[in-house]
Amino acid sequence: MNTFLIKVLASAACFVGVQQMQAQQAEKKFSINGAARGLFYGDNLDQDVAVEDSITIPKLNSGHVLVDLGMNIRPVKNMEIQAMIRVRNDYGGFWGSGVTFDIRQMFIKGVIGNIVRYQLGDINYKMTRYTMWNYNQELSMGSPAVFAQQNDLLNYDHFYYKDNSWRQQGGAAEFALVFKNVIDEMQFHAVTTRVKASDNSSVNDRLFSGINIQLVQSKYAQFGMNFVSLYDVEGTSKNDALYRNPVLTGTAAFNYGFKNLLFAADAEFGRSKTLYENNEDAPEEEGSFFDAGIKANHKKFGITIGAKVKRVDPDFNSPGAQTKRIDFSSFPTSYQRITNEQVLRGMSMIDLMRETSLYNMQLQAYLMDFNPNYDNITPYGDATPNRMGSSFSAEWQSAKIPVKVKLEQTMLTEVRGQGTTEVKNFDRTYFEANYEKKEFLPNWKNRVAVGVSYRMDKTARPGTDFYQDVNLETNVLNAGLEVEVIKNLDIMLGIQSVEYSGFDFRARVDEYSNVFNFEEMEVDGKESMLAGGLRYRFSEKSFLSAQMSKFERNDYTENTTSYSINQIMLLYQMTF
Amino acid sequence: MKITKGIILMAGIALFAGCKTEEEFDGPALTDLYGSFAFIEDFDISNRDVDFSADENTYFTASFTKNVDWEIEIKGLTSGAVKTLSGFSNYLDADNATWNGTTTLLPMFRAEECAVKLIIPSAADTIHDTLTVSAGRINEGFLLSDFESGVNSGWVPFVQSGANMNFGVVQSDNASQGTRYYNMAGQVNWDWLIGMVDMPGSAYGDVHFPLAENADNVYFNTFIWKPEDYNNGLLLFQFREDDNEDGVYSTGTEDMYSIQIAATTAGWQQISSKYSALPTLVNGSPAAAFGNGLHEPNKLIQVSVLFLANPSSGFSETRLDYMIFTEGAALNP
Repeated sequence: MNTFLIKVLASAACFVGVQQMQAQQAEKKFSINGAARGLFYGDNLDQDVAVEDSITIPKLNSGHVLVDLGMNIRPVKNMEIQAMIRVRNDYGGFWGSGVTFDIRQMFIKGVIGNIVRYQLGDINYKMTRYTMWNYNQELSMGSPAVFAQQNDLLNYDHFYYKDNSWRQQGGAAEFALVFKNVIDEMQFHAVTTRVKASDNSSVNDRLFSGINIQLVQSKYAQFGMNFVSLYDVEGTSKNDALYRNPVLTGTAAFNYGFKNLLFAADAEFGRSKTLYENNEDAPEEEGSFFDAGIKANHKKFGITIGAKVKRVDPDFNSPGAQTKRIDFSSFPTSYQRITNEQVLRGMSMIDLMRETSLYNMQLQAYLMDFNPNYDNITPYGDATPNRMGSSFSAEWQSAKIPVKVKLEQTMLTEVRGQGTTEVKNFDRTYFEANYEKKEFLPNWKNRVAVGVSYRMDKTARPGTDFYQDVNLETNVLNAGLEVEVIKNLDIMLGIQSVEYSGFDFRARVDEYSNVFNFEEMEVDGKESMLAGGLRYRFSEKSFLSAQMSKFERNDYTENTTSYSINQIMLLYQMTF
Repeated sequence: MKITKGIILMAGIALFAGCKTEEEFDGPALTDLYGSFAFIEDFDISNRDVDFSADENTYFTASFTKNVDWEIEIKGLTSGAVKTLSGFSNYLDADNATWNGTTTLLPMFRAEECAVKLIIPSAADTIHDTLTVSAGRINEGFLLSDFESGVNSGWVPFVQSGANMNFGVVQSDNASQGTRYYNMAGQVNWDWLIGMVDMPGSAYGDVHFPLAENADNVYFNTFIWKPEDYNNGLLLFQFREDDNEDGVYSTGTEDMYSIQIAATTAGWQQISSKYSALPTLVNGSPAAAFGNGLHEPNKLIQVSVLFLANPSSGFSETRLDYMIFTEGAALNP
């Protein structure tokens, strides 16, 4: 008579990341894990100014040594405790000054009654691309290894794992029911985290809660229901204005194989509501979205083609998916002010690679600022509001040679115009090709990897007699080469450039993301970085890298100062 | 196959509908921000000889090439009254530019010629025109006095025998309403009180004032004037209630609510107070009610106005005009 069994999920679909660390720990009662690194930057700034800058110090050296020391304790079966401290010493800090001790992470996890898996404390959590998803930062896609080393450090420090999960603090639980007939499995996931703490005065406690129910009908079909909500807790401060943002979505995924062909289709659709209770100034907004795609793969030829359509309402608001990693309203700390006028230096590509202070870890209730020069089309990932259209992709992966090629064309428009009923059109062309061979020649069994990617974004809208055309274009090029010259010693070369030119009206938004004005934005500039270096791999978990790079930022409009930074970087990194 | 075709058709319809752009837009119109300004329709006035006492009104019309901030200023050439209408739009019509005879800056309009200005700051454009008010607006409510026909004979004035005492109705173009106001001026060295007027309900033909029962609906309004040269005057309005309805006010056992005003801005200004918000004052400070503590305008038996000044502060002066009780809302003059 039993129609289902309750089971612990074999692999946690939602809370992720931390598992990576424990996989290797087997069943030891106590183990040490963590990471260590030594990092040094030597920079030299050169400004293109008519009158030599006599104020800014051109050479800056910085760096640190740090150890993340984690203790993993398994006091009983089905329970695990992890605590990690970070000890950091900036180069130049002697006898204790400049040394910091921080708690990097703590959690307790386990299984209750062999049924419910739980985790308390630090949790890396993700759901769907429209409910909770930590999209990659700008310009990081296709980045060559010589630059990715720096990006990886930032991602590690901010717990930005490759699975696009957000690091949160709270509790999560999950379990599954296995059925004998009709459906295979039903999975239940739930999470609640504290996004913001009350100051006991005017700031309320803000929590994020989510529920995901996944119905696995068979290997051919899967359906899901997701509910997330970012909300203020009443009574946790004297402020009775309470933020509310529930988001409800449904998902469906189908797979079907026929001879050499594999077909896959997936869709997500949903709705959000955003309001502040007891705050008449805050608007109440509702928005919906849908996103559906199909893919067909020919196993023999290694070709995959796909198509996707989507529509995201302008008022769709989902902080779990729209919060950005980079806080574009901030400024870099190195060379923060330049020229004799000591103007603030804006964020540039080199800063995105290494400035930890620019990065955000807290879910934001409303849309964050973005840089249209880097990405004007999907600044908030797939969940970018006010976008609709389609995209097509083609991939080829050879079975005989280690090559992967990908081509993607995206054509979107605004759903609702800005300042006019005429909508902007967005076109994106993305190309990526990678070659990696571990034994390049029969008599030279070393690894060679080559990668190139190119992205071209265009934003366009016709003007009138009163206002001009919008025609913003961004081109991003990445190219990298890694050659293992002798055993475990790699030469790395890389170039990354982003060019932007054209005109757009930049929307100025209020605290509730409502447009109240427009700013004319005329840009014509280029940022490029060329780097070369050596990396010696002691093992899979540790390496020493030395590289030199030259970063150039040119502003042809002369609205801001053009400059270059020559950088030397030494990095030793290991995990254990 | 029929089901498959149906699903495809429905998906097609959903996609088609889903890919439709909205007809609204976010933010201000770009044409408003960057377009050039011009008149499409010239500025005009719908009624150039308007009788507000007959419930007439007038409105202004024009249309522009873009939305702009605009302001219409109407100035009475005799009274100096000013009415301002303003907005942000690309047109003027009865919906956004109607004048019903009210005033923004006192005095109130009377029968007079008016100068009209349409000001468009962003276009540095000003259009001039004129209209005639053949009769001023008549406000609904129970009028204590507008002093146009002198002082009510049932009032009981008291004026101290100080120096330069001047209490009485004055005829002047500077009245806030009509052509007369009540002047109160003088110097009293031995007392705060310079002079006062008691206005009993009997002066209007009944023991109690003919006001509504609901104190939330009754407003007391008046215009007062402060001279530029003196800051020492205080006006105290007292509202005595006959709580037990015996036809007599009993001091200390029945309610007396007050408004005390120390005007700070020179010129005419409007004082309006909801009856239910009137406090009990003792020497200018809030105090416990003397009677039942209920605000009962229908039991109001006497209104008094006292003109006070610190005895050591010397000469003081104020003017009073257009005392009126209104219902439902404060006076919109």
